[in-house]
Amino acid sequence: MPKGNMKSIKRRIKSVGSTLQITRAMEMVASSKLRRAKAKAAILRPYFNALDELLKEIAAEKKDFATIFTAKREVKNRLFIVIAGDRELAGGFNSNILRLVSSNSADDSTPPKIIAIGKRTVDYFKKYKHDIVAEYPYFAENVKASQCADIANIASDLFKTGEVDEVRIFYTAYISALRQDATDLKLLPFDTTKEKAEGITEKPEMVESSDHSDSKIARFVNYDPSPEAVFDRIIPMILLSIINCACVESFASEQSARRNAMESASDNAEEMIEKLSLQYNRARQEKITNEINEIVGGANAIS
Amino acid sequence: MTPFKLQIITPRGVFFKGETENVIARTTVGDVGILAKHEPYVAALGIGKVRIKIDGQYRLAAVSSGILKVGLDKTTILAQSCEWGDKIDVERAEEAKKTAEKRLSDVSLSANEHAVAEFKLKRALNRLDAAGK
Repeated sequence: MPKGNMKSIKRRIKSVGSTLQITRAMEMVASSKLRRAKAKAAILRPYFNALDELLKEIAAEKKDFATIFTAKREVKNRLFIVIAGDRELAGGFNSNILRLVSSNSADDSTPPKIIAIGKRTVDYFKKYKHDIVAEYPYFAENVKASQCADIANIASDLFKTGEVDEVRIFYTAYISALRQDATDLKLLPFDTTKEKAEGITEKPEMVESSDHSDSKIARFVNYDPSPEAVFDRIIPMILLSIINCACVESFASEQSARRNAMESASDNAEEMIEKLSLQYNRARQEKITNEINEIVGGANAIS
Repeated sequence: MTPFKLQIITPRGVFFKGETENVIARTTVGDVGILAKHEPYVAALGIGKVRIKIDGQYRLAAVSSGILKVGLDKTTILAQSCEWGDKIDVERAEEAKKTAEKRLSDVSLSANEHAVAEFKLKRALNRLDAAGK
């Protein structure tokens, strides 16, 4: 940085100072929103866990499901449900998830259909002219179960009618306050052989332990009207709840990413102010010294 | 009557957790009553009412689509939504009923939209019914 004059240094200190105020405020807003998102996740979790457990029990009893949701087809068209943020200034949050999507669809002959959740996602896929089936800007902050149900319905309808052969969801998993991973998860066709629906359930940091695991798994369960019917009922419920959880988790990740980004921005601003103040003081000292020199020099010349 | 454990879980959290003597729920194929030591049983629930007997008193709740699961040591109801009959917002339910009725009278609806509106009407009627209106 070249040594500017005192006035311009002073101006810079002021402008960095006001930036610092903004980043500080954003940091605090993000951390309070993060807290709320975590609380929301804790509310959703028992439902999700119970559903998942039930699904596993049914799958354990009957392996050869031939329902429409498990039917594997040759994958020609895919549907991506992509969840990203509504706003920028969250570090690499938005770009990470969008990059994951584009790297995933790079080899596809036909580009995937998109359900875009979040303003940034909508903008991105519009810009690159993707086939957007549905868009939900400003959604993740106040997720409503009914809207998640809409998304789940759209996805399962497209799958049932054969318009798409695979449904994947992209969201950012909240691992810890410092780590959020862009994640991609297959929703349909539903894989009953998997142990857990995925990592969405167990996050020690997100929730306290829940007490849903039945110690004894019941055998010879009576299904009314049939295991398949019950299974077909559960799938939409579990889709809905995965989408709901993913939105909440993605929102938590966004806030966490923003908080971290703003924290380092604030730190940088503080450092900069420190440097600039030093420069300012030096310049002032130099000026005073010069003035004294001038006065002394002048006095010497007179006498 | 011997009490047994019951929990009702919705996406909004754990709605009910405690002991009950009898649960009567409307499945997709008809009403079932669950008493203690019922055999393991799983059924799909439609839109309907669930009656839960606590301390000899029946309490009524409106449930919209879910699963009833009777396990060896407890019974679980997983529902899209669940509300106690006496806590239902009647005004809102009336409102929903009117909106759905209006929507159903529109002939240009697609089959899917029609189904959604019908579902909403059923749910509103169920809630009103559970509220005793």
